[in-house]
Amino acid sequence: MQDLLELAVGATASGCIYGLIALAYLLMIRPTGIINFAVGEWAMIGAFGGYVLLTKYEWPYPAGMAVVVAFLCVVGWLTERIAVRPLIERGAPLLAPILALLGMLVVFRETISVSFPPDPMPVPFAFEIQDQKYFIIAVTLAVFAGAWFFFERTLWGKSFEAVALNRRAAALMGINLTRVTAFSFAAGAGVAGLGGLLVAPNVSAQYLMGVPLAIQGFTALVIGGVGRVEGALLGGFLLAFAEQLTIRYAPIPGGYAQGVPLLFLIVFLLVRPSGLLKAKA
Amino acid sequence: MRFWGAVAVLLFAGSCLAQETIKIGLITDRVGISKPYSEPATEGAIFGAEEINRKGGILGKKIELLIEDDQSRPDISAALARKLVDQGAVFIISLSLSPATQQQQTVTMEAKTPQMTPMNSADYLTTQLDNPYFWQTGPLGSIQIATLLAHARAKNFKRVALITDNSDLGQAIAKAFKGTLEKAGIQIVADEVVSRGATTAMPQMQKIRAANPEAMFLAGVLTAENVLIFRAYKELGVKFPIHSSYNLSVPIYETVAKGLVNGVTFVDAYDPDKPEVKAFVAAYKKGTGKDSQNLHGYGYDGVMLIADAIRRAGSTDKEKIRAAMQQTNYAGVMGAKGMKYSFADGKRAGFDPNGMVVRVYEKDRQGRVVHVGTK
Repeated sequence: MQDLLELAVGATASGCIYGLIALAYLLMIRPTGIINFAVGEWAMIGAFGGYVLLTKYEWPYPAGMAVVVAFLCVVGWLTERIAVRPLIERGAPLLAPILALLGMLVVFRETISVSFPPDPMPVPFAFEIQDQKYFIIAVTLAVFAGAWFFFERTLWGKSFEAVALNRRAAALMGINLTRVTAFSFAAGAGVAGLGGLLVAPNVSAQYLMGVPLAIQGFTALVIGGVGRVEGALLGGFLLAFAEQLTIRYAPIPGGYAQGVPLLFLIVFLLVRPSGLLKAKA
Repeated sequence: MRFWGAVAVLLFAGSCLAQETIKIGLITDRVGISKPYSEPATEGAIFGAEEINRKGGILGKKIELLIEDDQSRPDISAALARKLVDQGAVFIISLSLSPATQQQQTVTMEAKTPQMTPMNSADYLTTQLDNPYFWQTGPLGSIQIATLLAHARAKNFKRVALITDNSDLGQAIAKAFKGTLEKAGIQIVADEVVSRGATTAMPQMQKIRAANPEAMFLAGVLTAENVLIFRAYKELGVKFPIHSSYNLSVPIYETVAKGLVNGVTFVDAYDPDKPEVKAFVAAYKKGTGKDSQNLHGYGYDGVMLIADAIRRAGSTDKEKIRAAMQQTNYAGVMGAKGMKYSFADGKRAGFDPNGMVVRVYEKDRQGRVVHVGTK
């Protein structure tokens, strides 16, 4: 029972990280239809931001956190301007920006790789080591509450929903598609960077941390569905609990438990491709 | 006038000869998963080449390192080996992951070009391919576990746990650990894997705690995942001792695992009290202005071993270098006090089985040597 309780807290915290990365995907997919696998690299940049500001320059945690998130928002906005908008304006098919963003993934990773030493870099905990899980959970819930409020209660959020439902009709209604796209990338990068910053004290800031996070977040998104904000968090929780309970309790060799996320991904894509939560009518 | 013309011709010919270099190919990993190991080892190799050149080179010629980055990817590694052979490299030094080094052998064997790795530890590198042009001087995985076991023998363990990561090297070392432990009649009561990119190692450590081992052997080589293991170990408050692979010899643990590794014993090929190490540390500091670490020593020893072989061969003829390399008898930076690299008849793995040491972390620093060799 003690094991289960310890695992429940740990899996919830891991699920929050997966959920944040899934939310970053969702913020961009909803209005644009673009799957941006560079979210993992944005998380990595967030982690290195934590190393620079919190470890190297010893900034207070709240200030460091705010600057990291703001910086990532700028990175996301710039990414949209450089790799997405020119292609959309030229009428390129949807696959073109997705491939361009894969190229950006490599650019981000290599930039960090050559700018920092090869070893994992330490990032401090916000509080004590044992309280970090609760901090991750609290921050994530606050972010999701904010995202829910934005989409459900604000005019801007409604315009996002309108673009998600029908891009052309939304444009005809006077919604600025360019601004919505730019905002979605900025917000997506901010959320991904926050996820990277929160997980960094555990896994350290390292240049190869992006791709696993991108896969975990994408799997969580497929499980939860892109229709609703809550889906990203639900998918994150389900994935983390499935992973950790399998490792702990399933009578299979340790190495095989790594296949659980991929199994989940395949099953959901085959059986329920729209995810657990469907978009509201 | 004719005299000065002859002098000018001689000077020109002399300068042409002076510009001739001995090309040594170096394949490293600058962006892939082996970068944390490959980069310092490469710095050590470059420092070694510079030191040799400062002292006049080998056979009157300077060493020229031709450096390539294979990202630890076997698929491009062989192509780079071919490129280096075509560029005239008389020797190739491999400083990326073992699978990439293995792939390079397909080229060096066919091109009859000497190749060596001073840092790879996979046991299969000299056994799977019968390549007389390849040597391995890094400590083998099997030597690591034998050394750790020799240290732990006094404790008479009957039940231990094994934990690793899912990297190629982590799996290879775990396999070597497992084979040796089972051969010694020690039961492995838990055998866990932490996958790359995991955010916690809590479930694995809970499983190990439930199996109630007397000690845990850590075979993982991914620093971040190892830190997760230490964090879960501390959070769960378990007390069994941890014996680790050489990965803990990377000094970064003193920073990223602060407060988590004290008391952990780890196998190393580096004795800070060894005279060769003291000389290397001082020379490296003087030459580069930076502090050295054990990984620099691997690359440094690699270049020095190659230079020693070429010097004894008295020529850059690859066949003569091959014959000289096989006769190596050289004391380098790595290895316990008094250890010399050498290759027994028919063998091409040259790290002395009794050349490793066991050290312990104390006050967040890599501390004293507590054991030497496999006896």
